[in-house]
Amino acid sequence: MTLALKAIPLPLLLYVLGTVASSTPETFHEELTLRPLRDGKVISRFSFSTLLGGAIPRNPDVLDAGNTPQHYSLFPLGLGQVLREYAATELHLSLNSGKWEYDRWGYPDEQEVGTGAQLWAWIGDGGQATVDERWKGLRNALAGLFCASIGSLDDQRTTSPTLAFAPEGDLPAWPLPHHLRHATLPSENVCTENLTPFLKLLPCKGLSGLASLLNPHRLFDADWHGMSVHVSWRARRGVEVRLAFQAVFDPVRMSTDRKRDWSLQSIFDRTIPKACPIAESSRIAVELPKNEAYAVDPRPTSVQDGVAVYDTSQVNDLDVSLRWPLESVFSYPLDHPAEPLSQVSVQRTLKGTSQSRGQLSVSIANSLPSEIQAIYLETMPWHVQFYLHTLKIVVDGQARDDLLSDIAYTPPEPHGRPALLESVLTLPPNSTTHLDMEVMKSFLRYTEHPPDAQRGWDLPPAVLVNFTPGGRRQRLYTRTLLVDLATPDFSMPYNVIIMSCTLIALTFGMVFNLMTRKFVVVRLKKGEKASKEKAD
Amino acid sequence: MNWKDFRLSFSLLVLCRLLLAVTPYVDSLELDHDHQLSSPTNSYVRLQEGIFLYKHDVDPYSGGAFYHSPLYLSLFTTVLPTSRFLCRLVWTLVDALGAWALVGIWRERQTLESSSRDTLIAAAYLFNPYLFLPNLALSTASFENMLQLLALLFACKGRASPALFFASILLHLSLHSVLLLPPFILLLLSSPHSHLVNPKVFIAYRNPKASLSTALSYIGEFLVYSAIMSLCCTTVAGGWGWVEKTWGVVLTLPDLTPNPGLWWYFFTEMFDHFRPFFLMVFSVHLLMYVAPICLKFQHDPLFASFALLGVLGMFKPYLTLADPGLFLSMYALFPETYPYLYHPLVTTLLHLHAALLLPLFHSLWLDQGTGNANFFYASTLVFGMANGAAMVDAIWAGLRIAVGGRQGEDEGEIAVVQE
Repeated sequence: MTLALKAIPLPLLLYVLGTVASSTPETFHEELTLRPLRDGKVISRFSFSTLLGGAIPRNPDVLDAGNTPQHYSLFPLGLGQVLREYAATELHLSLNSGKWEYDRWGYPDEQEVGTGAQLWAWIGDGGQATVDERWKGLRNALAGLFCASIGSLDDQRTTSPTLAFAPEGDLPAWPLPHHLRHATLPSENVCTENLTPFLKLLPCKGLSGLASLLNPHRLFDADWHGMSVHVSWRARRGVEVRLAFQAVFDPVRMSTDRKRDWSLQSIFDRTIPKACPIAESSRIAVELPKNEAYAVDPRPTSVQDGVAVYDTSQVNDLDVSLRWPLESVFSYPLDHPAEPLSQVSVQRTLKGTSQSRGQLSVSIANSLPSEIQAIYLETMPWHVQFYLHTLKIVVDGQARDDLLSDIAYTPPEPHGRPALLESVLTLPPNSTTHLDMEVMKSFLRYTEHPPDAQRGWDLPPAVLVNFTPGGRRQRLYTRTLLVDLATPDFSMPYNVIIMSCTLIALTFGMVFNLMTRKFVVVRLKKGEKASKEKAD
Repeated sequence: MNWKDFRLSFSLLVLCRLLLAVTPYVDSLELDHDHQLSSPTNSYVRLQEGIFLYKHDVDPYSGGAFYHSPLYLSLFTTVLPTSRFLCRLVWTLVDALGAWALVGIWRERQTLESSSRDTLIAAAYLFNPYLFLPNLALSTASFENMLQLLALLFACKGRASPALFFASILLHLSLHSVLLLPPFILLLLSSPHSHLVNPKVFIAYRNPKASLSTALSYIGEFLVYSAIMSLCCTTVAGGWGWVEKTWGVVLTLPDLTPNPGLWWYFFTEMFDHFRPFFLMVFSVHLLMYVAPICLKFQHDPLFASFALLGVLGMFKPYLTLADPGLFLSMYALFPETYPYLYHPLVTTLLHLHAALLLPLFHSLWLDQGTGNANFFYASTLVFGMANGAAMVDAIWAGLRIAVGGRQGEDEGEIAVVQE
């Protein structure tokens, strides 16, 4: 690839992302997966992927070569311009709200479920602008594109955890290596203003096809909701942009007769009026309940492995519903403690009442009968600093410090970069591993506190990457934490400056008085205190 | 058994300190996290973290958790133990050495082999709460104080090389000790004896003929030792990153952890665009005390060092109780000034007041959550006033003694005032 790129003449070097789009085949696929859960909830996941066949990510070496027009028919132009401008090879952005319950809901179809905003990108080195400059431009451009505070994912949030966030596509073999930049902002909320630009990137917008179901009134009322954008490159196929929206609905909460029956109409308050004519493929997959009586309506196009599939490429006003006809009232499965749907679960807490220090506790349960190798990742802003020497690993009451290996640690810098702790953790079978570490809470300048300083700071989720039996990397996000940092008084910077300076000036004055003035003895005549006579 | 025998009483004092150090109760107090006893630049927890990172091939100076000198890294990874119990013994012995040096300085000043005051002076160091509490918190301030006293002791003895060697080590542990270099050189040239009563111009008693060239050679020797130490540090740390993270932090104050000093809250509340200016003002302000004090006390450089230690004990950026503690313990060396103290009662009460307020308000703010930062800030102001009062007391008494005539004797007949 390197040689091939060098061999072709300069005009052809501009053959990058979309420059000759008219000749490249662009295809669009859309899919909706609906999965009823045993606690009555329904996971819905929309996936819209656009493939720009044969395109190559832009080489940063030709960034200065000037702009060439971009012509796309299906590929989102707004995103294409951002990718071209900052020469990002791979990019993943997710904006989520809520806490994903791995135990009750299982592993999500879209695995980026960390609360808040997360952005990670693999950016090739080379050219005039450094990777960090382009990363800064990229996040600001995406902030503008999606109306989100991604611009705040600054150097205080950026890390490079290369083990946990390996590229999902291929990376072009350019002479200079690719670098990873990763940042999270757990306090960022996702709402309608992010969905509108999201819909604008779709070829059929929200007018037809599956995207017409994306009704903000219902989506942002869901128990969990999140959107994500994935850009990756496959050597044989081209550049692919995948936009996804995932939400967990609670039909029991929305129904009047406490039943878990649902339909597209009841969940989204909409049906599919007409198909998106551009879509190469369009389908709805409904996972059917097991060992229960159910009724699915209308009749699916096909049923495979307990999944009902509807072909929606030729459709007119479609409403899919799933009912449990024998069930009069849905009762939550409380009586038998259901075994967790995920084999690994992580709990992370911050203990301690003091505002100057605390203790970080992580417990990871492995319910599989075999040992698991997992990557544990913490990207902690400098507001909370680890005392790594206090790290203790306990399994079943026994210290097992040997379970942690390959520790890669970047210490945090006050008012600067965050800490990065990435290591390989071995989880023994059928056991719970406890990690405990003392942490120090930093003291901030008064200008660094947010306006609602007493609320505390959201800390990004930790990530546990384990390998599922299929060999796929599965990322688990822990919940975010809220840390209470000591606050100074915000009303009196002037008073503090004045009082401290007064004390310093007074002491200085007294000392220099003693240094410069001469001592004299004054003789006081008896009874006449007023008249003084110099003796010295 | 002769209880007045210094060797016996000194061993008893050290034994008491050892017993105090190994008491299990001390561990339960969790003193090493206390902000008044150890600051980021000398905290034991951060030292442990630095050693851990160093042993695991992570550069401890690449982040913001470790501000100790690389000399500590080399010591604690080779000679000194890292286990908590053994550390307590080492720290106590460091204090014992400091007390022994203080007694040595007293004997040099009085030109005595031994005196009845020796035990008192040792006790003033070993049982000063401002000194033994940081020591129990395993703050490395104890090492700094010991080196300071050892350097002074050898300077009093006129042994330039060891004195300058200790001073150069101290420079790496605490940048501000460089302010003591001028009185230190004067002390090496002159004598440690008390000339407070009879102030004269500076006389180089030890080498009257070539005082300037000797002074320059001392400075040169100090620079050579410091350069060697710096090279050692660079070898240990594997780069020059330690300069920014040890000397740099006391000038730029990146870590705003509370301490009893005056800097942390000032720079927490400072407007961002004025921060560099005030950092410069606070650092330069300390330099301004050196020349006047050295000129005024040119007849008694040991007293000049004492007065400058008072200045540092008030204005150091990362102040701990150990810094004013050293100054207060050194009061024991100058009993001739006691009758002339300006307002000893006020000073004592201020110190008592601050010593009660500091831990109380610190706990109210950070642990109980019932107070706010202003509570602790107010108590650091009181503490600053107490330190300032102690310093003014000492300087007043050191100058007033020359005029003679005790305050109480000629009551109503004469008064000593400043023109």
